[in-house]
Amino acid sequence: MSSQDRPPEGGDRMGPPRPDRDLQALSAFIDEELQGDERDAVAQRIAADPASEATAAAYRAQDNALRALFADQGEPQVVRLRPPARERYLIAACFLVVGVACGFLMHMLLPSLGESARFAERADIAYAVYAPEQRHAVEVAASQQDHLVTWLSKRLNRALTIPSLAEYGFQLVGGRLLPDEEGPAAQFMYQNATGERLTLYMTTATIRRNDSKIRSLKDGQRTTFYWAWDRVGYALSGQIGEAKLQAIAYDTCKELGGDPKNW
Amino acid sequence: MSFESDLLAHLPQLRRYARGLTGDRAWADDLVQDATERALNRAKSFHAGTNLRAWLFTIMRNLYIDQLRGRRDIAVDDETAPWRQMAAPRGEVDGLVLRDVQRALYCLPVEQREVMLLVCVEEMSYQEASVVLNVPTGTVMSRLSRAREHMRVLLGEEPGRKTSPSSLKVVSRS
Repeated sequence: MSSQDRPPEGGDRMGPPRPDRDLQALSAFIDEELQGDERDAVAQRIAADPASEATAAAYRAQDNALRALFADQGEPQVVRLRPPARERYLIAACFLVVGVACGFLMHMLLPSLGESARFAERADIAYAVYAPEQRHAVEVAASQQDHLVTWLSKRLNRALTIPSLAEYGFQLVGGRLLPDEEGPAAQFMYQNATGERLTLYMTTATIRRNDSKIRSLKDGQRTTFYWAWDRVGYALSGQIGEAKLQAIAYDTCKELGGDPKNW
Repeated sequence: MSFESDLLAHLPQLRRYARGLTGDRAWADDLVQDATERALNRAKSFHAGTNLRAWLFTIMRNLYIDQLRGRRDIAVDDETAPWRQMAAPRGEVDGLVLRDVQRALYCLPVEQREVMLLVCVEEMSYQEASVVLNVPTGTVMSRLSRAREHMRVLLGEEPGRKTSPSSLKVVSRS
């Protein structure tokens, strides 16, 4: 409380026609805050003393003027309800975390999916181009299998394994070097007794993470099953029926080190 | 009735008090907004059955005092003072007199202005005003009395007292 709030003692007031206490009583009287004797005493004073009457009238006039000044103008009050500040910060923080997580996941998933799909498309096209080829189906024939493996392993900078598909009736014809998007790719061709052909395509350039889940890609009669393992992308293409090709793809994946639990 | 609908019923009064305190429509609207939000967020700390109006006014008054610290005094004699832009008063009381009363109101120190607004405009009892202002009822009575006398002097109605103009310029805030 400041010093001016302290009720004045009124000791040194000179000839007080209206000491503060009287003014307070007048003020409280018009606010109907006085009871009993006090109220009656003030009422009598107002009736008897013109100065007190004038003061009370002036106070009432002030009240009326103030009420008129702040008369309700009936405008609607708009109040926006927002969550409390702490909740707002919490919500913002949650969005931030979710956003960062989404970005991270996109970074993890999108390139690999995109890459996978792209190398599978290239494998499919390479099949379409070379599978019908009779005289120049491969660059290096299966008779030079050791040379084929050494050469393509060197170009792909990875020790490649050529899986045997003999149990499905497919024999290795040979292989060739192909360009993939960012580097070399190897294509191995197989053929069965009836002349049907399969190709197993391998690339390392765009494979940055493992995704040994086997996916498929169809284009007309051709189907390609593809996966990635140990930073090598594999794509098995053929037109021997989806179910049969899928069975071969699963076995090949397993033989090349992929984990069947991910299928 | 729910707490929210009770609160809504008091919004016009809250705004009237905010406008009276600040003399500034935009500031008053912000003040009501802040007070309403704070009240809703603290609804649990309100004891049902006690005086909701006093509780709301206390919240808003505390916000006003906080915000006042960051601002300059109300420029009473500035022609562009916000209170001059408030809606022109209508009704049976002379508009010029109202302008003088309005100006006098913003010459009062904030302790006197707020008690006048609570008792004279909101017609609160001294007891209710003492809750809002967090002072004893005796202080409400003495402050109000001083405010009314102060206003009489400012309006030039007080013949007995000769006051120099400098003493009218009340800018102190405690």
